[in-house]
Amino acid sequence: MSFFRRLAAQWGERYHRMSIQMVLSLSFTAVAAAGMLLMSVSLIWRFSSANEQLVAENSRRVLAQANLNLDSYLRRMMRISDTVYYRTIKNMDLAEDDLTGDLSLLYEENRDDLVSLAVFDGEGGLVSAVPLTALKRDAETADSDWFRSASQSMENLHFSTPHVQNIFDDPDYPYRWVVSLSRHVQLTRDGATEGGVLLVDMSFSGIEQVCRDVTLGSGGYLYLIDGDGELIYHPRQQLIYAGLLEENNQAAAEYRDGSRQETFQGQTRQVTVKTVGYTGWKLVGVAPAANWFAASPQLPLFGLTLLLFSIFLMAFLNFLISARISDPILRLERSIRELDKGLANVKIEEGGCYEVQRLSHAVASMVSTMRHLMDDIVRQEGQKRRSELEVLQSQINPHFLYNTLDSVIWMTESGQHQEAIQMVTSLARLFRISLSKGKSIIPLADELEHARHYMNIQQIRYKNKFTTEIEAGPGTEGLYTLKLIIQPLLENAIYHGCAAEDDGVIRVAAYREGEDLLIDVEDNGLGMRPELAASLLEEDRPEVRTRGSGIGVRNVHQRVSLTFGEGYGLTIFSEPDEGTLVRIRLPALDREAAERRRQGEDL
Amino acid sequence: MRTEKSRLIQIAILTALGLAAALSLALPQLLRGERDAQLLSLSVMLRDTDSSGWTVARQGMEQAADELGAELRFLTLTAAGDSEEQEALLLREIEDGAAALVVVPADPAALSAALDPWLVVCPTVTLESPMEGAAGVVSPDNALLGQELARALLEDWDGGEVLLLDTAGRCAGVADRLEAAAEALAAEGIPARRAPELPEDAPRWVMAFEPLATQRAAERREAEGRDYTLYGVGSAPAVTAHLERGNIAAIAAWSDYAAGYLAVRRAVNAVRGTGGTPTPLPFFILREEDIYAPENQKLLFPIMSSSSR
Repeated sequence: MSFFRRLAAQWGERYHRMSIQMVLSLSFTAVAAAGMLLMSVSLIWRFSSANEQLVAENSRRVLAQANLNLDSYLRRMMRISDTVYYRTIKNMDLAEDDLTGDLSLLYEENRDDLVSLAVFDGEGGLVSAVPLTALKRDAETADSDWFRSASQSMENLHFSTPHVQNIFDDPDYPYRWVVSLSRHVQLTRDGATEGGVLLVDMSFSGIEQVCRDVTLGSGGYLYLIDGDGELIYHPRQQLIYAGLLEENNQAAAEYRDGSRQETFQGQTRQVTVKTVGYTGWKLVGVAPAANWFAASPQLPLFGLTLLLFSIFLMAFLNFLISARISDPILRLERSIRELDKGLANVKIEEGGCYEVQRLSHAVASMVSTMRHLMDDIVRQEGQKRRSELEVLQSQINPHFLYNTLDSVIWMTESGQHQEAIQMVTSLARLFRISLSKGKSIIPLADELEHARHYMNIQQIRYKNKFTTEIEAGPGTEGLYTLKLIIQPLLENAIYHGCAAEDDGVIRVAAYREGEDLLIDVEDNGLGMRPELAASLLEEDRPEVRTRGSGIGVRNVHQRVSLTFGEGYGLTIFSEPDEGTLVRIRLPALDREAAERRRQGEDL
Repeated sequence: MRTEKSRLIQIAILTALGLAAALSLALPQLLRGERDAQLLSLSVMLRDTDSSGWTVARQGMEQAADELGAELRFLTLTAAGDSEEQEALLLREIEDGAAALVVVPADPAALSAALDPWLVVCPTVTLESPMEGAAGVVSPDNALLGQELARALLEDWDGGEVLLLDTAGRCAGVADRLEAAAEALAAEGIPARRAPELPEDAPRWVMAFEPLATQRAAERREAEGRDYTLYGVGSAPAVTAHLERGNIAAIAAWSDYAAGYLAVRRAVNAVRGTGGTPTPLPFFILREEDIYAPENQKLLFPIMSSSSR
């Protein structure tokens, strides 16, 4: 029991590991094969049964014909016996007449079937015989079976089993196999009646011929036995006599007429019995079961071929159909696996039968929804980032505006109208560039102009404590840059570099280096230690609010990095008491590239 | 990966089924070819010039050949017991493609030496005498037969010398019978002598150890009116007739039909590599009164349509 449980568990485990196509195809094939096998067995059984009946019917027909022939033959022998008895012996007084002449006539007429005709008295003495007329010296006639049978049962005719007739004296000493037909007769001698025996020796070959010509077909054969089961004729009689073969004749003697199956020496065979009238002999037809298919020996193999080919065809179709059913599912599973791996642009195929199509459609719809959601998230993140940038940019306005306007007020009150006008003009120009129609990427020239106006304002505010040099190198014409990235650096340069000195110089230089645009903002102020300069751009550095616009170098760096990627941004070179150089690295964007980037931002 | 494995399994299953179907379709042709190839050509050679004494054995051989799918070719010698001619004829038969030989060897030792290189490819079954290298011998237990025949004589013996007809030549089987009979007689203190032929002054007791010698001794007894008591071997009709007429006191008889049948069956089995070791043929000591007992009739008088007329 545990074995079956283990087996079931193993199959269960294997089932879980199998692909859907394997499960489908194997299950269909197994069921189809089992069905076909069952049908084949059923057909074979029916065919076998029908064949068995056919063989039995054929045996019965053949045996009936053989019986007819044998009966005819035996009746002819009985007629000879009757003729001898009723027409000759009954009408003859042995004291006066000689039987030999009449016997010779009869013998000559039937010599093909007869071996001898003889009449014996009640003691076994020879009365008359043909063709041999004398008995052997030591012939013991009265002890012969045929003689005793005739003497004991006077009413009947008796047929012996085949034997060698040895009572007649023949100088050639041939041996003759005969079947003896004997009967009790009434002999008349001198008017008195006495018992005697009439012997008709039939040639065994006559019976052999009747039986030998019968063919049962399918490897079958026929044999003849007497009522006690003694063999009279068998196609392999001499082998049986020599002890090289056995026959089930004793059992067959007990069988009633008809067909039956018997097992003899491990062989199943169909036996049909027909009793020969009057003699009690039995004709036995034997058809070995193994040869029932002998009429068409290739039939079982042909059936096997058909079965195997049917299973092959069924398996092939099953594999095809199961593949057709399962392939869309497998493709769907593969697509989901690719999605799982994070591959973009995975196409969900919607094929296969209705349910699979629905499933694929549902998955595709789900993936599409997911993608939209993700796009929304990305878009929202972009907007958020842009908002943050805008916030960063807008942080410049109030503080700087306050300071500038304060300066304008101060200058107006002190009568420095020309400077006030210049400052306000620069401020207006500054804001116009700052707005730039809301674009975040503007021409480099505008950005430098923006820086220049900013420095004009600051120089007025700081009473020209520092000078400013702004220049654009060759190849930078027509290039674009991120808006408002120089001004915070200038603001830093002013507050940390030159505010305290009177001879401060702030240089802004834009130039091209390969595919990059570099903008250096350099001052000759206090400078700082290189380590400090490097730490200014670290993200985890605490926010340091400075004077001025309040926008730090780090914010500019973050804007550049966020906009153009990690490779771009600021680099600070500084040495104490020597000054500071802040270098902005940007991609060298021409008009088209700037336009594309703007469109990307809009999305 | 799993799908690939499944596809491989499916292809394997389909291939196996396809091959099985093709094989079952081709099998009848293969079997037919095998059956056709099984028809064997067997050569049968006696050691006598006259094969009439082997008629019954021949019938047994033909029955076996018919059943086992073999064809027989019977050969006789121009001079009885000519072992050289026998060797030459058998070698020619082997060269002509005989699948197996059934031989009554005139000189088993010489024949074995002559056929030695061929016995492996052409199995040889002997009748009467065993032969070295042969695939088997079909005969009664010759020594036991000689003893039993001597015992039959001892039942009747009332004095006098026994003549042992030594017609064996180099035929070992016949010699074995003679030697065993001689030993049995010697053991009982019965005087015996050997002679290649029946002398004019034959003693009262004579023993022959082969059918032809038995038949000739019986014929001489009848023709010359001599009164020796003859003990012989064989179941040929002529020998049986002499037994019935009283010219032979007792014979050791076996079924020639069975001998012929078994010899061919053994030869066919040897070619096909089947069958086991043959057992000695059963034999019976028969006297005149036993001839027509039903079982002996079957032994001595085989049913043959032609002979029943």
